[in-house]
Formats: sequence, structure tokens, C-alpha cells
Amino acid sequence: DLNYFHSQTTFVVDEITTVIKEAVESTIGNSSYQHSKINQWMSGIVESSLSQLTKLGKPFKYIVTCIILQKNGAGLHTASSCFWDNSTDGSCTVRWENKTIYCIVSVFGLAI
Amino acid sequence: MEEFHSGDEVSFSPDEGSNVVKECIEGIIGGVDYSQNKVNQWTASIVQHTLTQLVKQGKPFKYIVNCAVMQKSGAGLHTANSCYWDTTTDGSCTVRWENRTMYCVVSVFAVAIAL
Repeated sequence: DLNYFHSQTTFVVDEITTVIKEAVESTIGNSSYQHSKINQWMSGIVESSLSQLTKLGKPFKYIVTCIILQKNGAGLHTASSCFWDNSTDGSCTVRWENKTIYCIVSVFGLAI
Repeated sequence: MEEFHSGDEVSFSPDEGSNVVKECIEGIIGGVDYSQNKVNQWTASIVQHTLTQLVKQGKPFKYIVNCAVMQKSGAGLHTANSCYWDTTTDGSCTVRWENRTMYCVVSVFAVAIAL
């Protein structure tokens, strides 16, 4: 089935977005910003995302980046630029927040 | 920590990557103060410029360049990356730069293309 083959060899944004949202929710959920917990949260989010992504079993290399920012009025701007194969590679960014934290996770998938 | 295996295979050199990034940042936001109107233009220029310089090196790599610019106002900012790739050929480098009014963090990820 051509559609199935296509979805197994290209980066599917919706699927990846769901994986990431679950990883963030289960790690930070309702917590308030706490400097002492940040390292543990960051490792938890990237590691859990990466392991869920590799479980999808697709022929991809992955890069997961995570930013956690305390809500106190500072401006944060990010940009990315990629040089890759447009027909198979892709990225998605999930922006999540609660009352005291912004969390931005980006996933880049590159076909092998 | 990254290990380098020197040999016939091409692998990403983080030092070279960092130099390319530093020159791009200096060239674009070198002596300027944080400006909300200009920041989108700066982040876009930094990533595009860095990517162009990297691709010019003509090596068999796909690249991802990420840039974050933050105003200095006392907020805590934390970033982390995790990668699933071929550790013998792929690599990354991150450059942290600052001036009086802003922080700029640029990461480059290079993934080898199978020839």
C-alpha cells in the first residue's frame, strides 16, 4: 500500500507532535518553575521523547532540542534553518506552557 | 563529551563549526542593543548566514542550525539537546554569546549523508 509505505519513510508531523506533548506533560505537568529541578526535567523530556521516537521504528536519525524559560517578562526569539532532503526530512516544534514555565521542544528527523 | 575518530571518513569538526557561527553572530549583532523590532530579522539572518557558510564547505552533510536570542532581564533560560545518530560521523556544536543587553545561543547539528 503506497500510503503506508509513504508514512513509514517520511516525517509525520502529527504523530511526532503527540509523542512530544505526552513527554512534556508527563515530566512537568503542573509543576511550578524550580531552578533545582530543571536539569532533571530537561533530561526527562529529551530522553523520553527520543526513546518514544526510536520506538516508532522508522529509518530516521533524530535531534530533539528543549528550551525551558521562566515566565518573567523576558523576550525570547528562536529560529532554525535546515539543509536536508525536502522529500523525506522534517521537523516539528511543540510550544507548551503552564502558569510559571514556557517549554519549547523541537524535533528534527532526517531520513537515513 | 564528543570523541573524534580521525581517519578516512568525514566527520563534523565542532571547532570549525563554532568559528563559522561566531563570525556570523558578530557580523550581525556585534555591537547592537536588544531591539524587539529587529530581533526576528537578526535570528533569521544568523541561521541563514551560518547555513550558507557551512554548505559552502562542500562536505557531505545535512545541517540544522538553531538560534535563540534572549533579552537580559533576569529570567532563567535552560536548553538541552539529545540526538539519535551515527556517533562516528555526525556531530554538533553550540556557541553561547552575549553582550550588554542580550544572550544568543546557536546550535549546529551535522548529519552525514551516506554516499
